[in-house]
Amino acid sequence: MRTIGFLFFCSALLLSQNPAAGAADSEYLAELIAKSKQLRLAEKPEWQKLVHYVPNILSPGVHGLVDSPLFYNAQDGKDNPQAELEATLASFYSSIEEGNKQQNPQCLFVARYAWLNEQLAFDARRMPRQTCKRFQQWYASLNPAGLTLIFASAYINSPSSMYGHTLLRVDAKDQDEHTRLLAYAVNFAANSNETNGLAFAANGLFGGYQGAFSILPYYAKVREYSDLENRDIWEYELNLTPAEMERVLMHTWELGSIYFEYYFFDENCSYHLLGLLQVAWPELELTSQFRWWAIPSDTVRAITKDTGLVKKTVYRPANATVINHKLDMMNEQERRLARNLSVRQINVNDPALSALPDSREAAVIEASQDYVSYLRATEKTDVADPAVLAHELFTARSRLNVAAQTPEILAPQVHPDQGHGSSRIALGAGRRDGQNFQELRMRGTYHEIMDADGGYARGAQIEFFSTALRHYETGVTRVEEFMPVKILSLAARDDFFRPMSWKIEAGWQRARIANGGEPPVFAVNGGAGGTWSNERDTALWYALFEGGLRIKGDMANGHALGAGPSVGALYDFNPRWRLHGYARGLRYFSGQLDTPLALGLEQRVALGRDLALRADIARNREMQRSYNTGSVSLLYYF
Amino acid sequence: MKKLIIAISLVAAFPVAALAADNVGGCGVGSMVFKGQSGIAPQVLAVTTNGISGNQTFGITSGTLGCTQDGVVTSNMAATMFIETNKEQLARDMSVGSGETLASLAQLLGVEAQDKSAFNSFAKDNMARIFTADSVATEQVIVALRAALASDATLSRYQTAL
Repeated sequence: MRTIGFLFFCSALLLSQNPAAGAADSEYLAELIAKSKQLRLAEKPEWQKLVHYVPNILSPGVHGLVDSPLFYNAQDGKDNPQAELEATLASFYSSIEEGNKQQNPQCLFVARYAWLNEQLAFDARRMPRQTCKRFQQWYASLNPAGLTLIFASAYINSPSSMYGHTLLRVDAKDQDEHTRLLAYAVNFAANSNETNGLAFAANGLFGGYQGAFSILPYYAKVREYSDLENRDIWEYELNLTPAEMERVLMHTWELGSIYFEYYFFDENCSYHLLGLLQVAWPELELTSQFRWWAIPSDTVRAITKDTGLVKKTVYRPANATVINHKLDMMNEQERRLARNLSVRQINVNDPALSALPDSREAAVIEASQDYVSYLRATEKTDVADPAVLAHELFTARSRLNVAAQTPEILAPQVHPDQGHGSSRIALGAGRRDGQNFQELRMRGTYHEIMDADGGYARGAQIEFFSTALRHYETGVTRVEEFMPVKILSLAARDDFFRPMSWKIEAGWQRARIANGGEPPVFAVNGGAGGTWSNERDTALWYALFEGGLRIKGDMANGHALGAGPSVGALYDFNPRWRLHGYARGLRYFSGQLDTPLALGLEQRVALGRDLALRADIARNREMQRSYNTGSVSLLYYF
Repeated sequence: MKKLIIAISLVAAFPVAALAADNVGGCGVGSMVFKGQSGIAPQVLAVTTNGISGNQTFGITSGTLGCTQDGVVTSNMAATMFIETNKEQLARDMSVGSGETLASLAQLLGVEAQDKSAFNSFAKDNMARIFTADSVATEQVIVALRAALASDATLSRYQTAL
């Protein structure tokens, strides 16, 4: 559409009946271009950010991240900011009429127009101003008063949500904190109908999808995160001047019709949301620190850290969180009634329920309602007709003449942007099988069960690119392990919630083989089981049944395939000091036969948010040989 | 639930300013009856969350029923779409006579500050009348809500927003 517009503009000049007018136009355009060169506008951060230019990695120069050709007015606009600026100025002469399927470039690039106008003070007589009705209407409907960054925290049992998600909320003037559901949300997402997780992951990793911005009512997102997925939501109200907010929204409009190639790790939802937000003012630089990967919680951190951008943080607990709080406020009998009511073992007229004071009866019914909603939303319902049951509960509750029994739920002390840094490096020393060693460990990202939980989901471990290097006193230096992915999800079960715990890890680990050597072996491990917790949430214990496959040419038949149990318990003496004991035994029954056993005790003491001390001891048996390992290390998070 | 989410995605996640596609989004509320019983595996949903928001042009014929314009819900459809998406939360809030879903509905209906507490009690008293059965179509909820409002002396003027 843009190209056509530009051609149309050119031909209009050529065919003009009044050569003077055309000449004046091109004269003024030449004037504007000369002035823009003189002011070096194409090099300014405002222009670089509006067209999403980033420095090339290998060569000098820049390239635009937007992959949609419609975003560029110049043929070489993706790599040439100056040419793009000149072509944009030229496009502002276009006489394209706005319609349902097209816009005039002045409206399509409404933020570019506004900024260039600020810099060059367009003469409306020499460059007619377009009205941009669609944009005006859209802006008026949003009725914006402010912007809020929304962070949906990780959902423990779902690998594709594990990093969390961010979006931007447009708060309207006629809303208050009770009616925020009615605001709009600006969301960046990959466009795909893929339901196959593997295909989705593969395409997502390598840019196989188009990512685009869309706008939808905030309540739709709240339903999705809070009720269906049970992810707590954090709302960071941003401190922007009206002019800054307007700039961001004008740029939102510009991004509405274009796409980026979507990459899970770097060019994902959070990265592009930062790219949108940083047009607020020239010096605001948010994306440059995320060239390699952008984890939503880290991008939130970038916003809260230095810029003074956040004025207020609001916590919106998910349905499951609310249910847990309600259950915590109940005694054993009330809890049992709520549970029985939710699975139809009793009905709303049960005498034990009616015998309670009205407020307690209401509390039981409300908890039961929420739990039935939770079961319906997560497809775990135990009764045949959950919708009928829900309706019975609503009706019964409406007959009780007491106020809502929702307990006040305080935000967790540590916000998602206040947890430990997601990358980690550790220096340590120890002794293994009679040999002293020094050790260097690194982790690309993100959280391990032994790390402090503040700001992260408890029991959820997601580690990418975990590497250990050791130097032994014998002079040998070797890679002990290189694990691209390690995921462990320990979700506690109780009488209401019964999630499955599971793990999956893949990479290279040292393993003893029949010839006596200890080469790096490619290993994949997976497991499933259950986790339980004590009432005060200071302890977790788990039991998993695991399967493992090792692949190495030197092994008998080139592989080893096995299965077996693993059990463990975590205990927090206090928030700083955590203990983890474990026992694991796999029997490899195919390929190279062996029954390796591991028994160990790990301890962590947090010294600060980003500093911790670890002390680990273990006893292992491999190929009928037993040995001990002990090590102490200092961990730094960044 | 699955139907609900798909409906939300199709209706609501419309490109901000679709250049190639028509900017008028259809909404077809009649076809988005909230079934309630069906659900969706959390894994698939999680995928929905981080990426897929539905093919934005699929199922939307331009101008069938003016529901969104450049991604923003048109004012005459705002209450309908809100009820459609939030039915269960609305029933829950009505059953206790408070909550943000109910407050948001009041806002959409233009309920003035001095009538808010009357509106909340009204909602609680009429909950069983508005949500007559376990799985009820949006149009029915709206019709029942309108009828209940009409019979309320103080609040009858708010039925026009529906």
